[in-house]
Amino acid sequence: MTTTPILRLRGIDKSFGAVQVLHDVSFDVRPGEVTALVGDNGAGKSTLVKCIGGIHPIDGGEYWFDGERVQVHSPREAAALGVEIVYQDLALCDNLDIVQNMFLGREKRRGLVLDDTTMEEMAARTLEGLSVRTVTSIRQQVSSLSGGQRQTVAIAKAVLWNSKVVVLDEPTAALGVAQTAQVLELVRRLADNGLAVVLISHNMNDVFAVSDRIAALYLGRMAAQVSTSDVTYSQVVELITSGRSGDLGLAHSNGVTA
Amino acid sequence: MKAGPSQEEIRRHNLGTLLRHVHIGGSMSRAVLAERMGLNRSTILGLVSELGAAGLVREELPRETGRAGRPSLVVRPESDRVYVLAFDVGVDRMSAARIGLGGVFLDRREIPVLPGPRDAGKVAEVLAGCALDMVGAARRGTHCVGVAAAVRGTVRRSDGLVRAAPYLGWEDEEFGEDLMRRLGLGLPVSVGNEASLGALAEHLRGAGTGCQDLVYLHGDIGIGGGVVTGGQLLGGDCGYGGEIGHMVVNPRDGRPCGCGARGCLEAEAGERALLEAARRDPSSTGREAVHAVVEAADRGDIVARAALRDVGDWLGIGVANLVNVLNPRTVVFGGTLREVFLGAAAQIRSRINRLALTASRENLRLRVGELGDDAVLVGAAELAFSEILVGPLETLARAGARTA
Repeated sequence: MTTTPILRLRGIDKSFGAVQVLHDVSFDVRPGEVTALVGDNGAGKSTLVKCIGGIHPIDGGEYWFDGERVQVHSPREAAALGVEIVYQDLALCDNLDIVQNMFLGREKRRGLVLDDTTMEEMAARTLEGLSVRTVTSIRQQVSSLSGGQRQTVAIAKAVLWNSKVVVLDEPTAALGVAQTAQVLELVRRLADNGLAVVLISHNMNDVFAVSDRIAALYLGRMAAQVSTSDVTYSQVVELITSGRSGDLGLAHSNGVTA
Repeated sequence: MKAGPSQEEIRRHNLGTLLRHVHIGGSMSRAVLAERMGLNRSTILGLVSELGAAGLVREELPRETGRAGRPSLVVRPESDRVYVLAFDVGVDRMSAARIGLGGVFLDRREIPVLPGPRDAGKVAEVLAGCALDMVGAARRGTHCVGVAAAVRGTVRRSDGLVRAAPYLGWEDEEFGEDLMRRLGLGLPVSVGNEASLGALAEHLRGAGTGCQDLVYLHGDIGIGGGVVTGGQLLGGDCGYGGEIGHMVVNPRDGRPCGCGARGCLEAEAGERALLEAARRDPSSTGREAVHAVVEAADRGDIVARAALRDVGDWLGIGVANLVNVLNPRTVVFGGTLREVFLGAAAQIRSRINRLALTASRENLRLRVGELGDDAVLVGAAELAFSEILVGPLETLARAGARTA
């Protein structure tokens, strides 16, 4: 069952001064699927994500969203399309509670005052929709939450806005086994609810446990984007470390894809 | 030859179907019910009022629609009016729960026990005691409409005889009969295999909701299996089907299995195989011990990693075979296999991708159980609910007559 991609990048180039970071990158993200984005340090994962999120303008190439070619120049424009990114640092404020964090900068107002009731309801409904049972009160301060719970709040914040694409940058990197399991289940549920999810991870078990597709970046090029049901662990490792594996991946080091 | 079903039979069938929809799907409007059942709205109205008069469902305003306009009423199950008793005879604990229509836990008891053989009479006595305690605490005017118990073993479908449950040292135990006598509620006790019931639970209320073909693997002392195919639980000729743990994957030089064979999936990928490969203290068993291995592997312990890789390899081989034979849409890992799956997913998936046929595996979804440790109890409750969902009014009338 192949759905059409909601996000489609074609021939993306990105340089910082003389340093070329992304070269001719194509990338598809489909609704209802988890697309794992893998690659070595410096392969260009973070840059690609920042291009998707509108933080870095792209130098060349096409950005298609929901069948239309779009220009994305700022995070606000990306958010308007329905693209949300959860960065590793989560960008949560310790001194605020869960509801305040989820609406930070986008508070609901009733006249001049904040509409706390609506915000609480929306936050509660979002957390419930994600079957989050680990948070006892939505008025809890974020400083009192565990790493897994923080990640959960950050993800809930991203899906609160009817987003269509959610990009998660290493959501399990700093977590223990039990909390990793919780976050992975949440990641899976997002996609099963119909969202398009991009998961950046270095942990191959996480990648194989939840992803439907794997996209491997190698030195700023997209080595391959394959179905998780078609590859083995060693093939993915080869794609990450050498850009090719058997028939898969980059044909030559000059970037001609097979 | 019998003529078509009578009016009365059709009505009974429709009442049961409607009740099943709200029992499994939760509150829904009459319009949604009409659409799902393919009946017209006036028929639905009649059915709802009949079930409402019997006190099985209630119509009320939805909590919140988020849409403008007058909200339409939703039909919801009366969870505290009719309930079932569900039991799970686990390895290190026994559980009993009183579960209301709609699958709501109304009350529950957990009794920790030491792993090892247990007298069937004692088990029935303890569980019956818990159950009667919970029944006594239930509100007046509520009815128990079914009882079911789960054991890790082979259970004969026709009469619920537990043919073998090695972890308890049981052989041909009339456990259901005994439990029924001790409860004295006048209700038969259905007995089922724990993983089959887990499969049913994940199919109806968990990771396999809406999926008609799934395989459920339940890890605790061994590996239990349950198969749902075409929306039906696979039982085989006598009900012993689905013993995935005893699928032989390594017959020549495999590890000996408790069943007497060699190289069963359970022997190669079960708890004992994992703990031995990780060179754990033989006295530590159970979920904490499995958790400790997965955690050690996560921290980088190479012995634990190698153990998980080996076990993942065998699990992958097992699942690849199942995928080729059954072509499931979803394979659900429950019990301790949930953690094992998350810790060895790369190995498991790679094996499946290398061994299973392309066409059979391309849409395969691997999932962890959503119901956690409750899957077995939830499945037992669904077994106990089966009667009222076939003939709601008759079952309720019988329950009423017993209580009166």
